[in-house]
Amino acid sequence: MAERELELIFGPQHLGMVGNLSISLNVEGDTILSARVNPGYLHRGFEKLMEYRNWIQNFPLVCRINMIESEPVEMVYAMAVESLAGIEVPERAHYIRTMIQEMSRLSCHLTAAWAYTSILGFDTPAQWAMGDRDYLLDLFEELTGARVYHIYNMPGGVRRDLPEGFEDKLLAFLDAVAGRLPDYNSTFFENRLFFERASGIGKISAQDAVALGGTGQVLRGCGIKHDIRKLEPYAAYGDMDFEIPTREGGDAFSRVLVIRDEMVQSVSILKQCIEKMPSGKVYEKTPNPFKWKIPKGETYVRVESARGEFGLYLVSNGGNRPYRAHFKTPSFVHGLVILEKLLQGANIADVGNIMLSLYVIAPEIDR
Amino acid sequence: MDKLVGLLKGIFKDTDGESLGKNRLRVTAPRGSVLAVLDYLKASGFYQLKSISCVDWMDENEFELVYHVASMESPLHLMVKTRIARDNATFPTAIPIFKNAGIFEREIHELFGVEFEGNPDLAPLFLENWKEIPPFRKDFNMREYVKETYDSIPSFEEYQWQKEN
Amino acid sequence: MDRNNLIKWLKEPKKMGNKYSLWAVYFSTACGVIEVPPVLTSRWDAERFGIIPVATPRQANLFLITGYVTTKTLKAIIRTYEQMAEPKYTIGFGSCPINGGMYWDSYNTIKHLDKYIPVDGWIAGCMPRPEAIFIGVTKLWGMIDKGLATGYIRYRENYDYYRGNQEKLFGSMEWPPLYTLKEGTNDG
Repeated sequence: MAERELELIFGPQHLGMVGNLSISLNVEGDTILSARVNPGYLHRGFEKLMEYRNWIQNFPLVCRINMIESEPVEMVYAMAVESLAGIEVPERAHYIRTMIQEMSRLSCHLTAAWAYTSILGFDTPAQWAMGDRDYLLDLFEELTGARVYHIYNMPGGVRRDLPEGFEDKLLAFLDAVAGRLPDYNSTFFENRLFFERASGIGKISAQDAVALGGTGQVLRGCGIKHDIRKLEPYAAYGDMDFEIPTREGGDAFSRVLVIRDEMVQSVSILKQCIEKMPSGKVYEKTPNPFKWKIPKGETYVRVESARGEFGLYLVSNGGNRPYRAHFKTPSFVHGLVILEKLLQGANIADVGNIMLSLYVIAPEIDR
Repeated sequence: MDKLVGLLKGIFKDTDGESLGKNRLRVTAPRGSVLAVLDYLKASGFYQLKSISCVDWMDENEFELVYHVASMESPLHLMVKTRIARDNATFPTAIPIFKNAGIFEREIHELFGVEFEGNPDLAPLFLENWKEIPPFRKDFNMREYVKETYDSIPSFEEYQWQKEN
Repeated sequence: MDRNNLIKWLKEPKKMGNKYSLWAVYFSTACGVIEVPPVLTSRWDAERFGIIPVATPRQANLFLITGYVTTKTLKAIIRTYEQMAEPKYTIGFGSCPINGGMYWDSYNTIKHLDKYIPVDGWIAGCMPRPEAIFIGVTKLWGMIDKGLATGYIRYRENYDYYRGNQEKLFGSMEWPPLYTLKEGTNDG
């Protein structure tokens, strides 16, 4: 034990903590000797709740696993149910799903930009990011009827077709947000202060990132081109033309720049979606939900959420409700394993910086 | 995929592989050899442990552990499964093979009560002061528990009524 | 709104001060907190209503409990609430603290928040929209005006009841009672 070691409880009620998570830090002076993440403040036992509800009742439930980005959760559950029940999704529904996935990725990245910039003290880009996100939420509202929890993906497609004139509104938003990018760059991403605060902070090697189970930006920030959308294209990603942005540094700076580049890619994918959108129906009829039984089987499906691989292992025993569901969430490993490792030797002032650059979202850890 | 199954079958006794649709492979191994299978798979390119799931098959009195492993380059995703007895369930830890296995085992220990031998950190992860059986077991009746724990606490109106009478 | 009513400010400075400087604790208790950043930033701008987030509960007088409350969080909430200086107001945000909402049968969330700490008002919905927060706040203004927002007084006067319920849930409490407990009055 070091001479002047102290235990510092960081969170859940703390200005530097985004989300309901607690980290207990062993510090000496300003340096963190070791950290232990204490999750569970948001544990609702989703996987148990799902066992008590039938297949269709779970749709409004599962999206609440992640409040910042509920689409990938709905998407994995819809994909898992479709793969177990053998439902084919119409072509147009695939495109709409791709579109809403990318919209939610953009909205999640803008939230992350708000959180990250405001924790580093850049209030102007933070205000912009939140303001821009709100226009996106308006589009979500028009499309699905809700700002946060959309419950839009259903087994067999999506709940309703695009409203009239939606594409034009989306294009106008995309142009506006793309036109804003130089402003974001000059105030934040190309700002010397950001470089000074983030480069070399929370550095992880590529081997460690893989061995510890990292996905998403953690891998791409170390230069590994890994993206489920390319590796195993789902929805309409096979028809889309996009890059996987990577950086070599492995530090917070690289990870945040990867997020920036992904936003640019998202805008491009959304434009392609609108361009290539086929016509046709958006919904394949499914059996009466009260009598719907899904044959015995198991499946593992995964999508690329804004933060990394989001997977669902779903088991059916032939009944009218899931027998067991287990989510593989990106933040679980990032927040509990990689965060603890990266905090060793860091400064107290960098806890929020490292945590948000790893994109840790507390409800996803706890479920 | 078939080649991998053939190799696995050749090396390990009683091990079986079955394709579950595109890019998914289920490998079933007996309790004794599952860690060796994981070690072999890690050496042959499946070097990332994604997650460990546990399924409670109460009727057969068994827990099923599912190790999800994948490689970074190929889309193939493997589910390595084994069954263990449900009563006093114990299983050796996978930390020597996969560095991040500890956290998944900690979660399963809390939610199912499986004891992982050799895992140094099995402290409760999510729950505090939990006195019942592990909540994700099938014989844990959630609704009964909720009724007993939360609904038995009187509301403010009840308290006032009691005080007045 | 009587913000510009000078006579009222001179007559009741304390009440008016409480009304127009509702400082909220920075505590993201659960998922409802996702609607708080939009409320605080440029589009909705809660500072028009005198709401700003502050770092410590010592400076705050508004506690927005955003969303479902798990037993582990409830402990942190009670600790935070007891640290706040009086007068303090609590608003339950979302369906879940009202009656459990979506998680009515979850083993780890408490169903009725007002059994453990006093709540002055509720904002229903999942998620409530940002406007709903403002409606809630203006309603709270009215309650402060009429002297109805008395949750903290209720907490002080019925501390036996609240503490008893908290102890019933947690088994034992890790910190001493905030107020003196009356002897023998608490059977739950």
